[in-house]
Order: sequence, then structure tokens, then C-alpha cells
Amino acid sequence: MADDKDVLRDVWFGRIPTCFTLNPDEATEREAEPYYLLLPRVSYLPLVTDKVKKHFLKVMKAEDVEMWFEYEGTPLKWHYPVGVLFDLHASNTVLPWSITVHFKSFPDQDLLHCPSNSVVEAHFMSSIKEADALKHKSQVINDMQKKDHKQLWMGLQNDKFDQFWAMNRKLMEYSTEEGGFRYIPFRIYQTSSDRPFIQKLFRPVSPEGSAHTLGDLLNEMYPDKKRYQVLIHGIEPLLETPLQWLSEHLSHPDNFLHICVVPAPTD
Amino acid sequence: MDPARRSTETWRSHILRQLKHRDLSQTSMFQDLIRFYTQLLEKTSLTKAVLSSSNRRDCADSSSSLSSLQEQTSWMKKSTGELAYQVVELQQKIQIKTCFLQDQQDSLQVEKRRLGGVSDACQTLQKQVDHFNLENRKLKEDYDSLLERQRWAESKLREQKVQEEEMLEKMLQLKNQAAARMNNRNERRSRARQATLQKDLQTAARSKVTIDSSSSAPSSRSTSPKPELHVSRGRGQTRLFRSASVASPRMFSSFRELFEKRRGHSVSSLKEDLLYPVGFCVSARVPARSLQVLEAHEQGINAVRFSFSSDLLATGGTDRIVKLWELRAGSLTHRTTLDGSTEGITCIEFDPMGQKVLAASYDRSALLWRVDDSVPKVALTGHSRKVTAAKFTRVSNQVVTGSLDRTVRLWDLQRTACVQQVEVVSSCSDLVCSENIIISGHFDCKIRVWDSRLASCTQELPAQGRVTSLDLSSDRRQLLICCRDDCLQLVDLRRWSNERLCFRAEGFKCGSDSTRAVMSPDGCYLAAGSADGAVYIWNVSTGTLETRLPDKHSSSISAVSWSPSGEYVVSVDRSRRAILWSDI
Repeated sequence: MADDKDVLRDVWFGRIPTCFTLNPDEATEREAEPYYLLLPRVSYLPLVTDKVKKHFLKVMKAEDVEMWFEYEGTPLKWHYPVGVLFDLHASNTVLPWSITVHFKSFPDQDLLHCPSNSVVEAHFMSSIKEADALKHKSQVINDMQKKDHKQLWMGLQNDKFDQFWAMNRKLMEYSTEEGGFRYIPFRIYQTSSDRPFIQKLFRPVSPEGSAHTLGDLLNEMYPDKKRYQVLIHGIEPLLETPLQWLSEHLSHPDNFLHICVVPAPTD
Repeated sequence: MDPARRSTETWRSHILRQLKHRDLSQTSMFQDLIRFYTQLLEKTSLTKAVLSSSNRRDCADSSSSLSSLQEQTSWMKKSTGELAYQVVELQQKIQIKTCFLQDQQDSLQVEKRRLGGVSDACQTLQKQVDHFNLENRKLKEDYDSLLERQRWAESKLREQKVQEEEMLEKMLQLKNQAAARMNNRNERRSRARQATLQKDLQTAARSKVTIDSSSSAPSSRSTSPKPELHVSRGRGQTRLFRSASVASPRMFSSFRELFEKRRGHSVSSLKEDLLYPVGFCVSARVPARSLQVLEAHEQGINAVRFSFSSDLLATGGTDRIVKLWELRAGSLTHRTTLDGSTEGITCIEFDPMGQKVLAASYDRSALLWRVDDSVPKVALTGHSRKVTAAKFTRVSNQVVTGSLDRTVRLWDLQRTACVQQVEVVSSCSDLVCSENIIISGHFDCKIRVWDSRLASCTQELPAQGRVTSLDLSSDRRQLLICCRDDCLQLVDLRRWSNERLCFRAEGFKCGSDSTRAVMSPDGCYLAAGSADGAVYIWNVSTGTLETRLPDKHSSSISAVSWSPSGEYVVSVDRSRRAILWSDI
């Protein structure tokens, strides 16, 4: 179990080296230097890019504009965790991850507006509630008080592992007769799909009583997966890993198991 | 189990390894690089800012300002750290304060709840208080109204008491007045008596008495011409007559001769009054018209009687007094009033000597007066109901009374006590006395004959109807019975046979249970008063109605009396009228 704790810590403190470059079209008289930052995998772009905004606004000299990011032409959705965005779009590319910063021409069709951090908080809390609804029929999350919810959010926002997990461990509990959660909260992302993600009801324990594995899940969702790479938090777990354990330890802070399925590298 | 554990270990360790690898490749390689880059960036930007600002100033100051700026930078960094530390401290304080605030809010909630409960209790108590106040007020109102009523009742009581006292006073006054009047009357009467006594004494002292020297022993008695000797002479005469029990009529007349002079100063005027009615020698005259109509009494008259001397008439009735009238030359004048009865008079009789008047009264007693003495001498009480008849018996100083209480009593006047009493089946309505026998008539249509001591009933004769009155003829042979069924019967006493003469008349009705019928002194006629106010007179020998005297009485006639001289008939009725009839 000490290993499990290490897993949790490694998952929480995962970082992605990122290079933020201002869109060359938007540069003004001075050339803006790129900004390098280690982004936390588990957080969201608007929470961790204040310095980026400040850095580039020095050059931009524009007030009250919404910043948005794009990678190789794809506008980055801020409501996905940073790690998911990286694994999905740039998992096998050269590090650091180069993100282009835009201030103008906000793509309303592709991105949602994020005026303040409270929007992120609302999205985050709704994800947690949705996950708990799948796991415990919302019993645990509803038993928690408002200050507990706040603690979850503050833990994420301020990057406080202990603060966050003091509350989050309640959400990871399950009664022993169940053998696991009611349903596993997961989302499967694919770049080449027209759907944003796949989310279905999937029990962690089979009717016979054996635990479902990651392989069972992928077999259910994808008939053929040979040519794909399954990434969670930037790693490829073995297919026989139990789904219940994955949900407990490799979930994002919003309690969802975000799984990215990317084409396997050709080399 | 071991393969399972190993398998779990496999994927777990795989994951661990993968994570480590990832971190190594992705994070750690770039970590320091990015840090240093960022620092450089900050420095350059800072330097740029400094340079830009210092370019505006003097160049000479650039170096010093640079060092000062560097000092500023380090100082700012220090202050930043301090500020960061303060921030942490403040955040902790905020935590504590938040906890405290939460506790306060919790206790506030508890207090609020308690307050709610207490205010509810307070409200219920207030309601109780209001309820009690209301009840209290109601009780007070009731009390006030009761007090009012009590006061009003008390004032009424006081008024009543005052009225009671006034009425008592008035009553006492009236009583006193009546007593004074009574006293006055008695005084006057006694004074009058005294005066007449004096006058009589004087006249007696002055008058001369002529004595018949031829008479024997009785004449000696005449030397004492005192009025009291009237009585003693009367007594002596009684004794004499007792010895001559069966007297023939002629003896009567001879005795009459003897005594007539004795009574020189007596009041008789027309004819000599004898001890016993002188029926034979006088022939009765059938009256034809009324000589006098008198409103004799205040109320209805029940009885009328001539005295044996034919000069005194007594009437008595409901007004409780007996009036004595003098009959002189065909007119009646009022002589005396005898009172003392407390209720109406039913029957009057004179004693044979004409000195006493006996009356039977409703007040259950028989009263005896001396003529001219308005206060009764003797009152014979003992009957339990009204006395219907009181008659003198042939025995001296004896009176027999009959009453509605179904007894006939014999009284001794000297002892004023009842000596004999017989219970009869039915109430007695009238009595007559003959020598040795007393005859009583009763409501059960029977005539009872008793011996003179009332010891036994010797005979019982049936009558036609309820007997209302009896009358004996002057020769004691015939008994006249007046019955309620409007018929008069004559019974021959000597023969005691059932054969009897019956007299009826059209229009004759007995007015009451005490209507009196009389025989004329000579026994030839019967007179009776009818309910229609007419006097009917029958002829005994013919048995038919002789005459009828109507129109003078306005109501039913209660009694008639024939004067012993045969000349007058007096009838009295219920409307206070007395009428003197005669044939003149």
C-alpha cells in the first residue's frame, strides 16, 4: 500500500514542460520571448497560466482580452485536464510542448469562454459530482459539506496534495460487499473520432464476481485496438490492470479516469 | 493466490515503473532548465525595466542606482518572504476564526431554538392568564349583580316591616275603638237599667196595691209588690201547676180569674197573659190583610214568636240579635234588642211566664235572656253544630235543645249544664214539648217521641218528607208537621195512628229546611209561609186552603206565628221584612 501512496503522489505531481509562444501575428513592436513553464498534468489551463498571461501582456499592451491556446492549429479546450490535452495531442512529440498563445480571434465554435476561475471551479465540482453519481449514487458527495467541496477545489487550485486527498479519499471508498464502485467513471478520448469522448456505464466487477480489467473495458468499447496506444497520465498500464484499482489510483482530481487512445507510433 | 498476487504485483510494479520513467523523461530533465530560464527572464525583464528607467535619469547614477536597485530587490525579496509568512499566518488565523464563527453560529442556532420554545411557553402562559382574567371578570360581574339584588331585597324588607308596623297600629286602634264602644254601650245599658230600676222602685213605692181579701194563701204574697217576686210567683205558680198535671180547660179559666188581679202592674194590655196559651176560649180569626209591614232586621229573619200573652213579639235572624216588639192596637213598636249571640238566630221561644226569651243560635249555643235585659243571662253551649230548636220543657228550669249534630240535649238552667244527651240518627230540625214527652222532628223523615227525661225513645213516627217544623195544638192533642215535600200533616197524638190529615196547596212550597208552620190557637186553622212569599191558611175541618195572602213578601217566608189571642199573624221573610196580618 505504500506503493499505492507513491502512485498517488506521482500522479498528483506529474509535470509537463511547456513552452508558450505568442502568436507571431499578434506580436507588437517588441519581440516576445517564449515562456517556459512546467504545467501540472492534473490541473486546468486557466488555473496555471496566469504568469503566461502576465508575461505576454507586457508585450501585448492590451487589456481585458481573453487568452486562448492552440497547439499545431488545434485550439486547446481549457476544460480538459492539461495532462489529457498533452497525451491526446502531443504525447509522442518532442518536449517541451509548444503551445501558441493567442489573444485575438477567440474561436467561439471550438472553445468555451472562461471569464474567471469560478467557471473552472464549477466545471471541476460538477465533474466530481458526476463521478460520484456513477460511483456511489451521489451519496458520498452529498454527505460532504460545502466546506469539504471547497477544500477539494482549494487543494487542486493551490496544488496541495494532502489537503486534496484528505477529502478525496472519502470519494474513493466503497463498501466491501460491493467489491467496488457501482460504475467506473471513465472517459475515453480519441483524436480521430467525431465524438469528443466515450463515456458509458461499466461495472468494475463482473456478474460472476471477477474484477474487470482495462482490457475488458477496451474490448467493450473498442473491438479492435491493436494499432492504438492507451495512455493514462502519460503511461501505458498493462491491460490486465484491474479497473477498480485504476479508478482509485489513476483518476484525475475530478475522479474521472481519462483514457487517451492515440495511434501507435509508426517507428 | 500466489499467481494472482504476482499478477497484481506485475501490473502495479509496471505502473510504478512507467510513472517513474515518465517523470524522469518529462519532468526532471526540464525542471532545472525551466527554473533557470524563468529566473533569467525575470532578471532580464527587471534589468530592462531598470535600464529603461535609469536611461531617463543621469548616467552617472546608473551604477549607484543599480546597486541600490539590487539592494531594493534583495530587500523586496526578503519582504516578499516575510509577507508570504504573514500570509500563511493570516490564513491560519482565518481558519481559526472560521471555526470559531462556525461554533458561534451553532450555539446561536441552539439559542434560537430555545428562544422559540420559551416564547411558545410564554404565549401559552399568556393565553392562560387572559383566560383567567376573563373568568375573574365574569365572577366579579355575577357578584355585583347578586349584591344589587340583595340590596334591593333588603330595602323591600324594610318597607314591608314599616307597613307591617303601620297596619298593626291601625288594627290596635280599631280594636281599641271597638272596645271603647262596647264599654260605652255596656255602661249606657247599665246606667239605663239603673235608671229604670230607680224609676220602678219609685213608682212601686208610690203605687198602691189593692188586695182581694177573699183570696187565700196566694194573696198574702201580693203584699210585697216587688218586681222580683214576679219570678217567685211565677215559680209558685209553676209548682201549683205541676200538681195539676192533667188540666182540663175549665180549670185554666178559673185559675186565670185568680191571678188576673195579681198582675195589676204587669205590662199586659190586651188580654191576660197566662202561663199557657188559652186556645180554647179564643177563636182564631183568619187574617185578611196586612196591618203593618216592617223592615225589622238588618238581615234575613229566621224566627218569629208571639209570647204567651200576645203582646210581645220576638223576631230573630241572621243579624245575630233578637228584637222584641210590643203589639199595641194593631201596631208593632220596637221594645228591646237582645244581643249576645255571635251568629244567626234559628228559633225563639218565650217562657210560659213571658219573662224569659230562649233563642237557639248558629253559634252552637242556646241563649237565655231576661226580657228587657239585652245581655244574655245564660248560654248553653255544648252542641257541636248549630242549634236548630230550643224549647222550655214542662219541668221548670229545663230546656231541651236539638241540633244538627244529631243530638238532643236536656239542660238544667240553674246549674247551666247539660243533664242528658241522646244521640239520634239524624239531625233534629224542631222540637216541641208536652207533659212528659218531647217530640222531635228529624231530617230522616221521622218523628221521635221521647219521654220527658230523654231516657228513651218511646215512638218513632214516619213523616211524609223531611221534617222542617213541628207545632203542638193548644190542647196538646194534635201535632202539626211541616215537611219539605210541601205538605202539612196533622197527627193525633192520643191515638198515635198512622192515619193523618195531609194538607197541600197549589203554589205552596216549603222554602227551606226550617220553614215554620203554626196552628191557630183554636186549632181550626193552619198557617204556613211559602217560598213564593205568600201566607197560606188552611181550614182543618175542611182540609182545603182557606185563604192565601200574597204580594206583601218579596222573598220566601221563613216563619209565621199566630198570636195566642188569635187575632194576629206575623210572618217574616228572608228579606228582613215582618208583616202583621189581621182580619180587620
